[in-house]
Amino acid sequence: MRLKAWARVKRGKACRGINRWPWAERSSTWTRRSSLLKNTSDDIAQFLYKGEGLNKTAIGDYLGERDDFNIEVLHAFLELHEFSDLNLVQALRQFLWSFRLPGEAQKIDRMMEAFALRYCRCNPGVFQSTDTCYVLSFAVIMLNTSLHNPNVKDKPSVQRFTAMNRGINDGGDLPEELLRNLFDSIKNEPFKIPEDDGNDLTHTFFNPDREGWLLKLGGGRVKTWKRRWFILTDNCLYYFEYTTDKEPRGIIPLENLSIREVDDSKKPNCFELFVSDHRDQVIKACKTEADGRVVEGNHTFYRISAPTAEEKDEWINSIKAAISKDPFYEMLAARKKKVSSLKGL
Amino acid sequence: MGAFASLMKGMFGSKEMRILMVGLDAAGKTTVLYKLKLGEVVTTIPTIGFNVETVEYKNINFTVWDVGGQDKIRPLWRHYFQNTQAVVFVVDSNDRERIGEAKEELMRMLAEDELADAKLLVFANKQDLPNAMNAAEITDKLALHTLCNRNWYIQATCATTGDGIYEGLNWLAMTIKKKK
Repeated sequence: MRLKAWARVKRGKACRGINRWPWAERSSTWTRRSSLLKNTSDDIAQFLYKGEGLNKTAIGDYLGERDDFNIEVLHAFLELHEFSDLNLVQALRQFLWSFRLPGEAQKIDRMMEAFALRYCRCNPGVFQSTDTCYVLSFAVIMLNTSLHNPNVKDKPSVQRFTAMNRGINDGGDLPEELLRNLFDSIKNEPFKIPEDDGNDLTHTFFNPDREGWLLKLGGGRVKTWKRRWFILTDNCLYYFEYTTDKEPRGIIPLENLSIREVDDSKKPNCFELFVSDHRDQVIKACKTEADGRVVEGNHTFYRISAPTAEEKDEWINSIKAAISKDPFYEMLAARKKKVSSLKGL
Repeated sequence: MGAFASLMKGMFGSKEMRILMVGLDAAGKTTVLYKLKLGEVVTTIPTIGFNVETVEYKNINFTVWDVGGQDKIRPLWRHYFQNTQAVVFVVDSNDRERIGEAKEELMRMLAEDELADAKLLVFANKQDLPNAMNAAEITDKLALHTLCNRNWYIQATCATTGDGIYEGLNWLAMTIKKKK
């Protein structure tokens, strides 16, 4: 299954970020064993860099590990960053937005060393050596800590910051103006805590394409209508029991689905989501059971009733616009059909 | 400040104590740091950077920094940690393979001029593990007895349960009060 769709489906209760994924395993064995990913550091770095649905704290923990393989991934992760023509603080801001920097000194040390290597390769000639860049980057993290961590009472002045960096340029000093600018930049604007889209679904649901109450026909043998709060965002349809719920009851990725109006004998303003050409195929989706387990959905179609005819039209239009097509699924379905018809012979 | 006032301050006022926490990767520093906060509600805004915690204990305000890293970043400390009164060195008592490395790290730290007067508290951590070396063995492996002119103390700890951590702080509190 494609990672992206999977990550999206898994955004439900099954994983609030990669903490609950096997990723959280301290070693990289899972990653290497996984059938989802190829076992190269480049692939894993790509996956972490894209970071869809992943928890940025967990990405930081993974990149910070001392294991040789993790360090390899860290370097590959940095290769994906482009720092050309950015000054040091701008580059650091970009880098530190892509994961949550762990607080352990050794981890920060390794990360700043890897960062400096990449920064100097993107910007040859800016620093005399990568070590200068590395020590200065480490100093900038120290500065951000002392200026903005409320636990540090003794706030350093710009003089102390320049004094602290004396001699780090291969024994010489860096230009005072450079240090002053760094100091001012960090003082005026602390490094931002990266947003966790894996940990906090509210971010996912912050700016939806459409949301509202709808009735949904159940997928079990005894079909009942349930009132659900629906949110359409990110090419996915999410439904909740209450508007205030943090986690959805169900997620329906709109990939390769079709939508049409239908008449229902019991409810007005109905429409249906289905897989065109393959009516018996269960739609890829997931839902949360009453006991909290996340299971695959069991719908071959979703029948939904809107409160008014206008709302029905609006929902149909919005959903149509959000449906994405991937020929891979059609090909797969056709192949499955062929296999089952052969079996039937 | 008059003699009486300073006496009063010595008895009742809170003192500041800056502490560096060092040790190899995975020795348990972060766990120790967060156990220090035990029982307190932490509502501070998170900050990008090093782990720093403050804890008030026996009228002393401890500020503990997780620092460390390679030798190349040592020059930064010179100015930064001039007023550091103590070093807490956390060692994984179960890691026999890296105890030599831990000793080297400790000795490198103590060789820094800025830390010449700093007290040394060693946490022989992870005592809950079956294969853990005890405090005496750690003392021996770290060659603590060879330290001259250094006020040091070793405390067996299990950071995950918090065992021993406050005993260690107690020693620090007593030593700092005695000195002044």
